[in-house]
Amino acid sequence: MTDNTAWQLEDFVDSLVVELDKTRETLAVKAVNKPLSYTVKELALDLNTFPSYDGEQIRFLTAQPGQEGASKVTISLNSITDQQVRATTKLPRGTTDVTIDQIDVDQETRKKLRKLGVSSVDDLEQLQERDVDLGQVSGNDIDYTMLAKKIQKSRRNQSPPTIGAVSLSVADDDGPCLLIEGRHLGVDPAFQPVAVVNEVLADVLATSDRELLIQLAPGNALRADNDVVVAFDQYAVVKVNVRT
Amino acid sequence: MDEAFIPLHALVLAMLPAIDEYVDDEAGVRAYITRYHIESPIELDVTTDAEGAQRIGTTPPLYYVDTSLRPSYHQMRFTVERGAGDD
Repeated sequence: MTDNTAWQLEDFVDSLVVELDKTRETLAVKAVNKPLSYTVKELALDLNTFPSYDGEQIRFLTAQPGQEGASKVTISLNSITDQQVRATTKLPRGTTDVTIDQIDVDQETRKKLRKLGVSSVDDLEQLQERDVDLGQVSGNDIDYTMLAKKIQKSRRNQSPPTIGAVSLSVADDDGPCLLIEGRHLGVDPAFQPVAVVNEVLADVLATSDRELLIQLAPGNALRADNDVVVAFDQYAVVKVNVRT
Repeated sequence: MDEAFIPLHALVLAMLPAIDEYVDDEAGVRAYITRYHIESPIELDVTTDAEGAQRIGTTPPLYYVDTSLRPSYHQMRFTVERGAGDD
């Protein structure tokens, strides 16, 4: 017998499902040339194992010849209809979804979220939409204000502001203005962007995803070399050098 | 996987009878099996391959004599039924 290594239940069940699929596929092929077709309705294993817990995960070691005192683990796979699959399977993550591994939180918080079945930001938001009080379930161990900020930061990191062009315009009433064009600029409607031109605070007249209009302060005309710092939101601060 | 063991799906398929339908033309009788339910002790060899996936090796009991070092017999049950669309 080869090396007997400890396994996790999740991995074992995955392999068992693969074995069941292979059985079904073979029976399906056989049905092409046979008058009758058969399908596997149930597959169950009673396993003699020695479970161990390392503080984070439970692993199982398959009992070997001569070993006594093993625990019994029963795994049953039943057939499932396509309707049940649709009802119980989560859709694959969208491209904009952020997994909790991508959020800058400590390992303990990540572990607690995983135990609550939360594996992505979308999961968290769905719970919020349904008004689920996660604080009660987790024993108020998780700082959700901090978590919400980390999520926003992580989301922002996925779509950072990019500046394509900066131009000077002179509006009738507003005087000289800097027009910044790009993508993902003013994405947080709750945050009014802040701009500083040559270390002088400037007014932001208009903001959108693709444009930001900054009114230069009176007496702060552009020089040959200008430093423009814009905080689009609390997680996106950009510094650009504008030469005239 | 130990060479005495085979993948679980191969064992399940090997346990199914090769003949599904029994036809007696003279008597004009046709019989078929609608459902198999098989329960058997098996020996198990669970190994991890290079990709980290578990490989489940199985075999029916290899020896039929009582020995001082007894194998660990796990139990397997499965049910196979005739397809819903068959006559």
